[in-house]
Amino acid sequence: MEPILKLENVHKSFQAHFWTKKKKILKGISLEIYPGEIFGFLGPNGAGKTTTIKIITGLLRPDTGAVTVMGSSIESIDVRQNMGFLPESPYFYDHLTGYEFLKNHALLANCRDYKDKIITLLLKVGLSKSRDVALRKYSRGMLQRIGIAQALISDPKLLVLDEPLTGLDPIGRKEVKDIILEQKNKGTTIFFSSHILPDAEAVCDRIGIIIEGEILKIGSLDKLLKRGTKTDEISLEEWFMQQVQSKPKEATNV
Amino acid sequence: MYRIWAIAENTLKEGLRQKVLLILVVFSVILLIASFFMTPFALGESVKLIRDFGLGISSLLGVLTVIIIGSALIYKDIERRTIYTVVARPVRRLEIIIGKFLGLVILIILLQLGMAIIQQIIIFINEGRPALSLLANIPFELLEIMVLSGILLLFSSFSTPALSSIGAVIVFVIGHAAPDIKLFAEQTATGFIKYLSLLFYYLLPNLENFNYRLEFVHNLPLHADQILFSICYGLIYTVFLLYVTTIVFERREFK
Repeated sequence: MEPILKLENVHKSFQAHFWTKKKKILKGISLEIYPGEIFGFLGPNGAGKTTTIKIITGLLRPDTGAVTVMGSSIESIDVRQNMGFLPESPYFYDHLTGYEFLKNHALLANCRDYKDKIITLLLKVGLSKSRDVALRKYSRGMLQRIGIAQALISDPKLLVLDEPLTGLDPIGRKEVKDIILEQKNKGTTIFFSSHILPDAEAVCDRIGIIIEGEILKIGSLDKLLKRGTKTDEISLEEWFMQQVQSKPKEATNV
Repeated sequence: MYRIWAIAENTLKEGLRQKVLLILVVFSVILLIASFFMTPFALGESVKLIRDFGLGISSLLGVLTVIIIGSALIYKDIERRTIYTVVARPVRRLEIIIGKFLGLVILIILLQLGMAIIQQIIIFINEGRPALSLLANIPFELLEIMVLSGILLLFSSFSTPALSSIGAVIVFVIGHAAPDIKLFAEQTATGFIKYLSLLFYYLLPNLENFNYRLEFVHNLPLHADQILFSICYGLIYTVFLLYVTTIVFERREFK
């Protein structure tokens, strides 16, 4: 099966000032994400998750390496037609109402018949009653939900979510997880980063662990956690801690 | 086109919903109305005073609005990370720049039209008839605003709002003093000062090319070649500024 998203040996460095040394953030990331799966991109703070996501969505350019979506380079803006993106701790134009914000993003995503779609999405994320309220009056959870709605406005084939569950209460997390699973059932591929391992465990088909800019492990949850075996089965949280504490030199595929 | 309009509409709404704009408009309207009450001190020149003062206030409102709103336009989007979901859409960076520019210009057009209506009402009360010829000043005012918007967008793509505002004010002041700077360079200055003056003159926009207030207030004739030159100068300068802004913005990464 052809991957819907492919990263090949992606490197990225940042330089705070021209007189300071470049800091390597990504050290040769390679990933393949397949159609219809939910891929959890896990790692501690500063591991390079958000940098990877910013490269996938065109906010950053890789120093070297290639990123393709459905076989096309992300340098072509047309590939973004098939993508939806929710940034970490989203900040949106707070002078707009929820409806205006979604309309704005529908037009940016070349969707002309947006009215019914916006109403459906507002219903889906539970913000119908707040559609005419300015975003500056939205709570953190409401912003996260309107952010998910804007990511879905173009019916994307690939949904990229950066920490979609962070800052949400248990009900909000459940709702977002339900939306993620619903999208998967519709055939959408979901690539998301998270710190909340039990939630990732609940929805992911496969996970990848990134530590200090390198992929430590990639594989299906069933195999990594030895699900189905009576003796060695452990939770993702326990497994993750084991992996982080005994970081091997090279990445392994499971 | 839809994408450009989406960005322009958003910029327009952002501008219209800022409290600072309301304050500027209220202040300008008060000044316009105040001009009516200054006529007893005009020594028989009340017609010219109201006309000149009105055009001056409209111009000032346009310039202040464009500086205050334009200086933060791109910078704020980057700082507050609101640009992330826009850049991740199938939108060219050029479309973002043109959309922001159009939104800002449409905002100023609305303000100029509103101010022109109020000024015409005041002139009607004072003179018994409107002075519609003054409306011809609006396109020239807009050309100046377009050039200033281009400068502010360029500054805003790599600098803070405070520095962008200072830069725009400097360009505005030097731009209106351009003919004097040229005269100074040609007749008075020597050596380094002469070349520095000429550098400023040729590098920065000559905003006096759009200043026909005197002609409109005093009903002086305007030649077609003057008008054509002003239009071409304004449009070419604006396109050049937007082009440079796009190049800067194109290279920009969002860390």
